[in-house]
Amino acid sequence: MKQCSAQVRELEEVREGFYYLALEEPYLAATALPGQFLHLRVTTTFDPLLRRPFSVAGTSPQTGIVRLFFRRLGTGTKLLSCLRRGDPLDCLGPLGSPFMPAGKSPAVLLAGGTGIAPLLFLAEKLGGTGDEVYLFYGAATAASLLPVERFLPSGPRLFYVTADGSAGETGLLTDAFRRALEKGLVPGELFACGPRPFLAILAEENRRWGYPLQVSLEENMACGLGACQGCAVLLQKDGKRTYARVCREGPVFCDAEVVW
Amino acid sequence: MPSLKVKLGLLELESPLLTASGTFGFGEEYAPLMAMEGLGALITKTITLEPRLGNPSPRMVETPAGMLNAIGLQNPGLENFIKIELPRLHSWTVPLIVSIAGETEEEYVTLARALEGQSGIAALELNLSCPNVKKGGILFGMDAALLESLVGMVRAAWSGPLIAKLTPNVTAIEELARAAARGGAQIISAINTLRGMVIDITARRPLLGNLAGGLSGPAIRPVAVKMVYDIYAATSMPVIGVGGIMNTDDALQFVLAGAAAVAVGTANFVEPRTIPRIAAGLREYLAENGLHSLQELVGAAHNSGQRTEDS
Repeated sequence: MKQCSAQVRELEEVREGFYYLALEEPYLAATALPGQFLHLRVTTTFDPLLRRPFSVAGTSPQTGIVRLFFRRLGTGTKLLSCLRRGDPLDCLGPLGSPFMPAGKSPAVLLAGGTGIAPLLFLAEKLGGTGDEVYLFYGAATAASLLPVERFLPSGPRLFYVTADGSAGETGLLTDAFRRALEKGLVPGELFACGPRPFLAILAEENRRWGYPLQVSLEENMACGLGACQGCAVLLQKDGKRTYARVCREGPVFCDAEVVW
Repeated sequence: MPSLKVKLGLLELESPLLTASGTFGFGEEYAPLMAMEGLGALITKTITLEPRLGNPSPRMVETPAGMLNAIGLQNPGLENFIKIELPRLHSWTVPLIVSIAGETEEEYVTLARALEGQSGIAALELNLSCPNVKKGGILFGMDAALLESLVGMVRAAWSGPLIAKLTPNVTAIEELARAAARGGAQIISAINTLRGMVIDITARRPLLGNLAGGLSGPAIRPVAVKMVYDIYAATSMPVIGVGGIMNTDDALQFVLAGAAAVAVGTANFVEPRTIPRIAAGLREYLAENGLHSLQELVGAAHNSGQRTEDS
C-alpha cells in the first residue's frame, strides 16, 4: 500500500451517469487484487473533504493501467466525472483484503449494480472458460447495465438480469440465480457484490444452499486505512459479536460471519 | 534552522505537531505511509478500563467541509492496550501521550494508576467528553465542579504531565479550563468535537447509528480558534489547539490565538502526510519572518491592543 499520484488515461461515460476511468500507475497496476480498492482524493480543496473509495475493476500490469467504474451520484463523483486525460489523481492503495478464491469450479459471480466492478476484476483474474466461471449481472434497467463484454473479451458465461426485463432475464438477480440452480447449476463457490439488501437475501438463501460465499461490503468511510474505525460492520464470530473494518478486515467477508 | 521545539509545562517536544486522539488509531495504520519527520508526539485513540465494542453503523458521515462521527470509543480496553498496543507503540520514537476516558471517576483513576506503572508514556490526556453514569450522564467536561474533582483525583494517581481535553459543548470554555487548572492539570487541549446530527430524509430518521455524533474538520476551525483564544486569555496554562487544522496557515492561526502546540485530526484521513507538510511549512514561515522559534508567536494575536467583546 502506498500513496501515489496516478494519471488519468481515459475517462468515458459508458452509460448515462456511469463512467469508466483508466488510471496509469504502475505500482497499483502491479499489486492490486480483486476485492481491493483505491481511496481517491477528488479535489485539492476541503469541500468535499474526504477521499472516496472505489473497487478496482481491473488492471493491466504490463501497461501500468488500473481500471475503475463509478456512478455520478454526489459531489465527489461529479468532480471525478470532470477529470481530463493527463490529470493527476492522488490515490491511496491498494487497500483492503481481497477475495480469496479456493479454486472450486465453477465459480459463480453475482453482481448487483455497480457491484460489478470488483467482480469484473475477479473474473479477469480467474480466467477460465465459460464452464468454469459464471457471471450473473443485475441492474434496474438495460440503461444502467455496463457494457461488460468490452472489458471481458473472453471468459465467463454472462447472464444479464433487469428488474424491468429490458435486458436479459426479468426480475431480481437472486431469482435468476435460483432458477439457474434449479436447472442444474452446481456452483463450486460464490462471490457477490452489490446493494446490502441483495447480499442479505443471498446470504439468507445460502444458509440452505451452503455454498462457500464471499461478499464485498460497503460502508461510509473516512481514512480507508483502519485508523478511524468509521466503516464498521457487525460480525458474529465464535458466538461473539465484534465490529470489523470494511477498509481493513474487509471489504470482503464470509457471508456466515456477517450479522445481516 | 528555526526551532519547532516546544515546552508544555514539563512536557518537552521536538515539534508542536501532534496527532489528535482517535484519528491515528494506535499508529500502526499510518506507519507505512508517514515518516516521523515533524511529529512531536503521538496521542493514542482513547482507551477505557474495559474493552468497548463501539457504536452501530453508520458511524460517520461527511458534512460540508467536515465529518460527523460516533465511533463509541471502540477500543481493546486497558489490559489489552498494555499487553498488545503499548509495546507496538514504542516502535514510534516520538513521545507517547495516552488518551483515557471512563464512565466514573474511579475508572479514570484506575486507568491512570495502571499507566503510571508503565514506562514510556510521556503524558496522559483526559478525554472529558464522556458521560458520567453516576451523575445522570452529564459529560465530565460540561460541569466545572465535576471536572475539577475528576482532575484532582487523577492528579493523585498520575505523577507525569496531565492534559485536560475540553469539550466545546459548553457556555464558557474558559471556566472549564480554570477548573482543570484548579484540579491540577498542567496542559489544556481544546477542542474536542462539536455535537451534531444529520437526518436521512429518505428514512426520516437520524443517519448515524448513534443518532448524534461529533463534528470535526475545517467546518469547526473558527469555533476552535476562538476557544483557544479565550482559554489563552483566561489562564496561564499551555494550550494544545485542535480543530480542523489542514495546513500550515491553519496551524499558525491556532498558535497566534494562543496554542503552544497543535493536534492534527481529521486531516490525517484526507492527507496522511499533513503533519510532515505543516512542519516544513512552519519552518519556512519562521525563516521568512526572521524568527528563531515558533514559541515567539504563541498568543501574538492578543497583542493587537483591541479586546474582543464576547459574542
